[in-house]
Amino acid sequence: MAKKTYDLLFKLLLIGDSGVGKTCLLFRFSDDAFNTTFISTIGIDFKIKTVELGGKKIKLQIWDTAGQERFHTITTSYYRGSMGIMLVYDITNMKTFDNISKWLRNIDEHANEDVEKMILGNKCDMDDKRQVPTARGEAIAREHNIPFLETSAKANINVEQAFMNLAQAILNKTPGRISEPSLVNINQQDTSSRRCC
Amino acid sequence: MASGYHQRLQEFEILLESDVIDSEALRKLCFLSGCPHEKSIRSRCWKILLNYLPLERQKWKAELQKQRNLYKQYLQEMIILPGKKMKSKELSSGELCDHPLNPNPNSEWSETFRDNEMLVQIDKDCRRLCPDLSFFQQATEFPCDDLLNAMSDVETLRKRVEHCALQTETVSKNRLGITVNMVTKKRTQSEEYALLPDGKEAHWEVVERILFVYAKLNPGLNYVQGMNEILGPIYYTLASDSDQDCREFAEADSFFLLTCLMGETRDFFIKTLDDSACGIGNQMRKLTDLLKTLDMPLWQQLQDQELRPQFYAFRWITLLLSQEFFLPDVLRIWDSLFSDSKRFDFLIYLCCAMLMSVRGDVLKNDFPTNMKLLQGCIILGSYWDKKNADVVIHPFTPDNVPGLQLPETRTKQDTMKYLTMGLLNLFLWCVQDGEGKETLERTGAFFKLFFCRTNLQLHK
Repeated sequence: MAKKTYDLLFKLLLIGDSGVGKTCLLFRFSDDAFNTTFISTIGIDFKIKTVELGGKKIKLQIWDTAGQERFHTITTSYYRGSMGIMLVYDITNMKTFDNISKWLRNIDEHANEDVEKMILGNKCDMDDKRQVPTARGEAIAREHNIPFLETSAKANINVEQAFMNLAQAILNKTPGRISEPSLVNINQQDTSSRRCC
Repeated sequence: MASGYHQRLQEFEILLESDVIDSEALRKLCFLSGCPHEKSIRSRCWKILLNYLPLERQKWKAELQKQRNLYKQYLQEMIILPGKKMKSKELSSGELCDHPLNPNPNSEWSETFRDNEMLVQIDKDCRRLCPDLSFFQQATEFPCDDLLNAMSDVETLRKRVEHCALQTETVSKNRLGITVNMVTKKRTQSEEYALLPDGKEAHWEVVERILFVYAKLNPGLNYVQGMNEILGPIYYTLASDSDQDCREFAEADSFFLLTCLMGETRDFFIKTLDDSACGIGNQMRKLTDLLKTLDMPLWQQLQDQELRPQFYAFRWITLLLSQEFFLPDVLRIWDSLFSDSKRFDFLIYLCCAMLMSVRGDVLKNDFPTNMKLLQGCIILGSYWDKKNADVVIHPFTPDNVPGLQLPETRTKQDTMKYLTMGLLNLFLWCVQDGEGKETLERTGAFFKLFFCRTNLQLHK
């Protein structure tokens, strides 16, 4: 068995319509690279990254799901174990934004009640093709009281931030059963949305 | 070596030139040695193995003619006629009895919207089909004439995809309550996948059209992500054939080969069948059961780490391993898969061999490392490249695998021979249960050898 090299393990899940860039976001975060040549995700994919937050080494175990309805039986079983869920849409595709409410309902149905959520409007580098105004993303996020960011996996905008914010939110409410609770750095959680570009 | 290859070509030709194809002999030859791409051998073999062509050779011409005409008719019904209608609706300013806001679910417009949604999904997937290969981005020599000639008065799939993007744009503005008409004429494609000029179409667009027609004809199944990965290797094989007739009708023929193949695997794609005997769930169960009988410790490890087959085998099985290997290797594996009458049992054995080929690492790694290994690293041979030379995981060396001796310098044909023998071993396992475990372990070793000693790129 490998030696434990982390203090906490957080399980995250990426959901959203197909083609919004879930795999690219994850690849940017885990490997700091962008690849335009991703094949479609079939079933479920998996990445891991260890980060430091509040003086703790946190291992992020991130599940990347297929967007299409057919794969939901496979993917919804991961909702339950997830501590944080990223909902991703594509700012150049209104339909993917309209479906955010559908994805939110899926979370209500399948995830733990106290799961941390975050909404991401990806591809914000493509402003000339924008169909979803930032204000609309902000509005739906406010309505559901979920943090929101516009991201670009391609231009590397807000990607690290998004994952770190989500991890921080989970950390903030993690009871200090591991090591001394006094050491957990309870930062003011930054829930304000940030605009990019 | 060269003479051996020629001899193999000849064996194929003799079989394929006979008046009535000896199905048994052909299957055996394809299974064991794989089909050469040269001289249309693979294309012809697959058409026979998937029962698209009858065994009587004299019937081929008429059969192909009939089916190709049928496909042409499908194109008329599914794309050209609706496309003309759409175009004329767009143009006519007169009163309409059916209109886009018609709430009637049987309205033609609502069908159009449903189709468009499906089309956009197909489009997304086809653009990213086999991205490591330039083939699908290249223009086909044989674009669909019926569509090209009718371009101006038909709403083609390409235009429909573009218009879908524009339509949603307009709606979004309305929803905001902003009345400014801001519809721009911009194309929504990303620069990486720029469209070819009008009059030309890329191979991926042909694939898209085939999938659209297939989905329209199979409404119970519709389009499911991953079908593109099944069609890709088939279309590639036909559209890159040396024979002009084969290339020219690659679209129609691929459509029917897809139909034949999906006839056997379609259940894997249907969500409601997931837990039934024919669904994907049962296939994955078969795999874990097989592993349990063959390699208890490995099975136990996967069990302990909750490494469920859904994480890796779901994709392996639904896509017939097409995302796990480089295309040339996929073609070779499919030669054997298609020629085996128990083809899906065989697929399960292959998956099991893949698992066992990495057992050494799986047994000592933690969950995330194993996940990564099973989900991607076997794929590109990178796993074995990294391992090359310094780590010997399996007790098997070429010397203690009967019949296998690694020559000093190796050619591609040699390498294929090893894979072939690996497959053969698996096949033997199917027929003689007795020494099953040992044989399968050997096959695992074969896979390892296969990937560790080659950076196999069969493309010249």
